[in-house]
Amino acid sequence: MRIRLGAALASVLTISIGLIVLLGLLLPDDLEGAAGLVDATQEITAILLQIVTITVALTIIIGVFNLLTVHASRTARRGRGAIYSLVLLISFIAVLLTYVSDPDESTVLLETVQFSVESALAGLVLFALVYGAYRMMHERVTWARLLFVVVMLVVLIGALPFTNADGFRTMRDWLLEIPVSAGARGLLIGIALATIVTGVRVLIGVDRSYRE
Amino acid sequence: MDQTTVQVLSILILLVTLVLVAVPIRRKYALRRIAAYERMPELTGLAIESNRPLHISFGSVGIGGGSTLLALASADLAYHLSQRAAIGDVSPLISVADTSALPLGQDTLRRAYEARGLANRYRANNVRWYPAGGRSLAFAAAITGLMSTENVSSNVLVGRYGPELALMMDASNRRGLPTIAVSDQLEGQAIAYALTDTPLIGEEIFAAPAYLNDDGKQISESVAVDILRYGVILVMLVGLILELAEGS
Repeated sequence: MRIRLGAALASVLTISIGLIVLLGLLLPDDLEGAAGLVDATQEITAILLQIVTITVALTIIIGVFNLLTVHASRTARRGRGAIYSLVLLISFIAVLLTYVSDPDESTVLLETVQFSVESALAGLVLFALVYGAYRMMHERVTWARLLFVVVMLVVLIGALPFTNADGFRTMRDWLLEIPVSAGARGLLIGIALATIVTGVRVLIGVDRSYRE
Repeated sequence: MDQTTVQVLSILILLVTLVLVAVPIRRKYALRRIAAYERMPELTGLAIESNRPLHISFGSVGIGGGSTLLALASADLAYHLSQRAAIGDVSPLISVADTSALPLGQDTLRRAYEARGLANRYRANNVRWYPAGGRSLAFAAAITGLMSTENVSSNVLVGRYGPELALMMDASNRRGLPTIAVSDQLEGQAIAYALTDTPLIGEEIFAAPAYLNDDGKQISESVAVDILRYGVILVMLVGLILELAEGS
């Protein structure tokens, strides 16, 4: 069997660092007879986590470089949507220059443009959902889809401030408290279990992401 | 529950999981049908035949935080899809909202091309970062634009999404693009379920290697999750019975 040195090194590093961090997080502070080991492990864990934080912060530079190269090449090619890429590049330079000359002005720019556009988009989410529900029923009516739309309507009506909609309000509260809460917990438990299994796979080197 | 109990339970669960994942499965284990995984080869085929890129998005997952393992699972799924789509003339596109997921996405695409012996066709710019903004709505807007400007053939939206997923799904549906979506956030998951014909649900995203790997050797993860799930159900039932017995 042929073993690549780089891949083996990556596996050894990942497994050993993973185990050290895990030990650092799991070992109790007051472990009898091993106080020195616990302190050392926790110190190494803290340093490793700091390195992760710094590395993640550095990826922002990679992200900005990626964004600029993608849009600069599209603008140069005059491909589809080149005008939007050009607007992005001009906006980027403008915000950068504004920030250098007056950081406060840059924040105002962000608040007046970015936040308002995002708020408008947030408003559109409701219409997208209602259209989605319509589309769903228009295509094919199944019991699951019917139940989904009925529950959605009950919850929406129950949330409205009508004086004579107590029945809907009670139904809405029950739905949110019992079935929705139970379903949500079920989903979250499932995700948590799968996360643990994936973590263990990474820890024992079964995951292929750093082996190739 | 005090800290020591939590630590002992964590170690116990880790050990059980370790045994379940590490021990090879000798019995033939039939995976249950998941429509979304059955449809994925169709999406890669569509991308190759139509000469249009397959778009895979990780949403706002990132490395170094609470979504690290979800990011790895999303990357695993992207690897299998990219590997299949790599033989086409047009490269798959991967989009991320968190900069820490950008190197992961690039490495995933590179490995997919290398696995096909086509490393020279890999382009780092086919993995793109779109800033998320405060509520990921800027990211959603960018993705709706991407569907149009890059003329994508279909979307696989896996990872972490909130209500903004509705905008992406709406744009995708209007264009008639086949879309598979899943999120670890409840709002995103609800929208994914409602607006796509073939959603993945919750932890199913972690089962990608078992379903998409051609050799069928990576099913131990799915089996481990199933056994752990039954364990949790058992603990809940025992707890319920004890509670009822105490009450009566």
